Amino acid sequence: MTETQARPTGVAPRLVGTSVPRKEDLALLTGTARFVDDLRLPGMVHARILRSEVAHARVRSIDTAPALEVPGVLDALAGAELVGKVKPWGDLMQDLLVGDHFPFATDKVLYQGQELAAVVAETKYQAWDGCEAVRVDLDELPAVVDPEEALAPDAPLVQEQIVYEFGEGNVFDRYKVRIGDFGAAEAGAAVVVRQRFATNKQAGAALDPHGCVADYDSFTGVLTLYSSTQSIYMVRDVLADVLQIPRTKVRVVVPDVGAGFGSKAQIFGHEVIASLFSMRLGRPVKLVLSRGEIFRSGTTRNAQVRYAELAMAADGEITGYRDYVVHNTGAMSVWGNQVVHIGTNVGMLPYPIPNIHVDSDIVHTTTAPGGPLRGFGIPQAIWAKEQLVDMAARELGLDPLAVRERNVIDPDEFPFRTPMGHVIDSTSIKQCLQASAEAVDWSAPRAPYEGKGLAVSMKYTSCRHPSLDTDLSAVRLRLETDGTVTIYSSDVSHGQSHATMLAQIVADGIGVGIEKVSLAPPDSMTAPFGLGTYASRGAAVLGTACRLATERLRDKILAIAAHVLEVGPEDLDTGHDRVFVKGLPDSGIYLEIIAATAAYRTHQLPPGFEPTLETVATYDTPTEREGSDGSGNLSVTYSGAAHAAHVRVDPDTGRVTVVDYAMVHDTGTVINPLVVEGQHHGGFAMGLGMALSEDYVYDAQGRQLNASFKDYLAVTAPDVPELTKTAEIPAPSTMIPGGQKGAGESGTGPVPAAIGNAVFDATGVRFTVLPITPQRMLVALREKERQGVETLRYPDDMPDFTGPRRHADWPSPVSAGADLDFDFDWEDDD
Amino acid sequence: MRPFTWLAPDTTEEAVALLREHGSGARVIAGGQSLLLAMKERTVGPSHLVSLGGITGLAGVTTEPDGALVVGAATTYAALTRAALRGWHGVLSDVAGDLADRPVRNRGTIGGALCAADPRFDVPAFAVGVDAVLRISGAGGDRTLPAGEFLLGNGLTAIGQDEILTAVVLPPPATWDAVVFEKFRHRVFDAAIVSATCALRRGSGATPAAVRVTVAGATATPVVLAVDAGATGAHAGEVAAASVLPDATDEPTRYRRELVRTLVRRTVDRARTQQGSA
Repeated sequence: MTETQARPTGVAPRLVGTSVPRKEDLALLTGTARFVDDLRLPGMVHARILRSEVAHARVRSIDTAPALEVPGVLDALAGAELVGKVKPWGDLMQDLLVGDHFPFATDKVLYQGQELAAVVAETKYQAWDGCEAVRVDLDELPAVVDPEEALAPDAPLVQEQIVYEFGEGNVFDRYKVRIGDFGAAEAGAAVVVRQRFATNKQAGAALDPHGCVADYDSFTGVLTLYSSTQSIYMVRDVLADVLQIPRTKVRVVVPDVGAGFGSKAQIFGHEVIASLFSMRLGRPVKLVLSRGEIFRSGTTRNAQVRYAELAMAADGEITGYRDYVVHNTGAMSVWGNQVVHIGTNVGMLPYPIPNIHVDSDIVHTTTAPGGPLRGFGIPQAIWAKEQLVDMAARELGLDPLAVRERNVIDPDEFPFRTPMGHVIDSTSIKQCLQASAEAVDWSAPRAPYEGKGLAVSMKYTSCRHPSLDTDLSAVRLRLETDGTVTIYSSDVSHGQSHATMLAQIVADGIGVGIEKVSLAPPDSMTAPFGLGTYASRGAAVLGTACRLATERLRDKILAIAAHVLEVGPEDLDTGHDRVFVKGLPDSGIYLEIIAATAAYRTHQLPPGFEPTLETVATYDTPTEREGSDGSGNLSVTYSGAAHAAHVRVDPDTGRVTVVDYAMVHDTGTVINPLVVEGQHHGGFAMGLGMALSEDYVYDAQGRQLNASFKDYLAVTAPDVPELTKTAEIPAPSTMIPGGQKGAGESGTGPVPAAIGNAVFDATGVRFTVLPITPQRMLVALREKERQGVETLRYPDDMPDFTGPRRHADWPSPVSAGADLDFDFDWEDDD
Repeated sequence: MRPFTWLAPDTTEEAVALLREHGSGARVIAGGQSLLLAMKERTVGPSHLVSLGGITGLAGVTTEPDGALVVGAATTYAALTRAALRGWHGVLSDVAGDLADRPVRNRGTIGGALCAADPRFDVPAFAVGVDAVLRISGAGGDRTLPAGEFLLGNGLTAIGQDEILTAVVLPPPATWDAVVFEKFRHRVFDAAIVSATCALRRGSGATPAAVRVTVAGATATPVVLAVDAGATGAHAGEVAAASVLPDATDEPTRYRRELVRTLVRRTVDRARTQQGSA
């Protein structure tokens, strides 16, 4: 890791940039960390949700009365009695006016696992007994599992009650990009490669289940919700709105969270249901979901079908990209449509493609809700685009490495604005690409059934979402009267090591020992407002808020010390828990004396100094809103990832083994290399699952057949190769004061494409669907032999395919060419 | 899990009597690695559980005078892994040590695997593959059944409601000169998609006197194939693949057929090699 920042302190060893052991690990490794299911409150009772066994049905009746006769049962709820009493939700705070979520199905069941009723009892087994007693009468309707079938005029209609602004039928939203002139690019290209690519529906599979304990205090009227979530304020604000109570009466507290990956970045029905029960009973109510419930009713990676085309000039220059995307967002979705916007916008990187033409229909199916998942649409876009790059390079007889070297962003000057509108403040993606290829010995001859593949991507670092015009985080710091520091933040750490990473920033900033810095648990009663932890925003956005708060705290500390020592603040420095006159690091005043002065000896403070040492800082990224043509700089900075896969295919069993894998990343200035490397390794593992094994399997009736860890093929440790070739080539962000870029998701983006390209190199089979299971691999090899061909696209062998279906081919509520920009421009752009 | 009554008999006779007494609501439990999971999900809800854990002699391995290996039905996979078994009997240790995960191997039993009759489990496939015989005790006395006749379908066996599987008897070492087991699974702890067992008896020349090839996973119960004793691995693989759902063209069946071909070829080739070196 290169050091690019001047040391802010005179003497203390700088912690930012070093692999400080994680403060979180002791509790995790000794089993003392406390997750939501570990919580036991006095008088606590247990709730359970009765979920639909069928995917699509009309609700005739749901009768909870028999449940109340079951021993131990205290209360039961179903949808009908809540209509008009709790408010539907589903919009991302402001812009997207979709109230498609409700605690229970009322008129229709839209997917298997949707809530029908819930029961609360003294024990969770009695609650289960109660659920079994609920009488349910459903009239099953035909399911629609395939997103393309959902577009057919005669397809079963999923959402009947909601009038969409931009769609109709099962089309929930539309998205388009118009940059340059793809038609001209197509006409002038040496080659245009085209293929239909489909991606899989991947689970978040966080080991810590979704769950909560709701604790309503009937005396104060405050509802406290302990929840395994990524965002306390989104949960608080939506929950208060749903229950129609003041936000001051809802407190969200988060215990340790064993991962989320995006699957906990919204409010869920169980949080509302537990709250309702607690308010009705005046007792704490625990509701923790089983793995099967999480599979069926949690959010998943949005599966896509992409009719993608890439135009390339004879010299390898990528001149255009066109795509028609059918984006399966499941039966309902809070975040689903955002995924195709941002995944496509940022998925065009790291190439400054001049002509881009994308249409997307975002469709409902009777499957589990789609949502954010590590990579947020980028792995899907890269899977299509980076395979097209290889296909075009091979058609032109060019080396895929050379083509990428020719195209990746490598400007003479930064910041560099791409035609899509990204403002690239810095990048080392070209060097990353070269280093990754070199690490797997790219030019060496391949053994039989072995192959190598490359893929490059850039991942947004935080994001101004099209439906969420904000990108802020905040930190409050308090220098306690004993010289320790407490950090308050609402951005939940669920694997990102905030307690360590933020403490490194604070320790460097005010010269306090890192062991004296602690992170308070996320609690909406004490933490400043922030959006939460998702979109790889922790280190850059939260880190910047922390840096600003630290600078403000440092200024206050130095002001007091200058007054006491009768020197100018510019003559002072900090370190070793002290403030001292520059050059005299062994003297000075201890921070605890300064803190005590600020609290208990206020006459000794400088004139006009506001007592106590507490500062708060909020950082909102200088990002743009999405333009009507799809362009815009939605992210403050972009981290780079160049991956090189070396695979071996067993031609007898179809097993694809990743024998070697190089990941070279640009994560800007890395605060903690140990943490960042861990993020990359975890990101790779999720990408590996997407590439080779994971998918929701549905039957024709929309029932998930693999809703357990026994049947859902999540990646486990033995499946992951030794990741000894993980490296950073940092190009520090110039937008973020500390130079950081996002780390959490950049390890996932290129993985399916790199493996797909390597599999083609090994076998001549170009996979057009994910995952590349042994079954698909072996059947494809036999099919290739049977046809006697050198190369085969499988299962969609359509080399003569002449272009995506156009957006105009689909029914549209507005005339073609109408301006679809309904965004209000709050900012004065000109 | 629903409430149930736990019964812990000391003898097989007592256990059989309890099963008779409590009828269809009673289930035998050994390691519980299939039953408990189903009970936790409430997909089964027995009224009584008759535990084999306290019955002396049901766990452990003994050898008959003729060399046959008697493996008590309540012997855990972990115990089998540690057992020092002679000749091809040792393959049972290898099979038991390379399935599921360690917690399952510590509790799960060989008898439980057979009674669960899951087509993807290794022990039933291996038992049929080496032509093991199962000992069953019931109210009407004791009986024996070849493993191939015990397994009737996915989750179905020939055992009566008031009968208990007490032992798995592997034939004497001289029955086979080489036994090879191969399987394919996704992850290391997953059940096999397809497995193949080749048991071979040497002949006077290069051609074996007998070859028994058994394929499991692709069908509801293990299938013993009619393979010519002189067949090469490749030939046996072809014969085996042709016998598995020959009319089906769907991708999962095509794949299983390919795996059958591969695994049979590998087991037969390995068995022939071992025979040569024995």
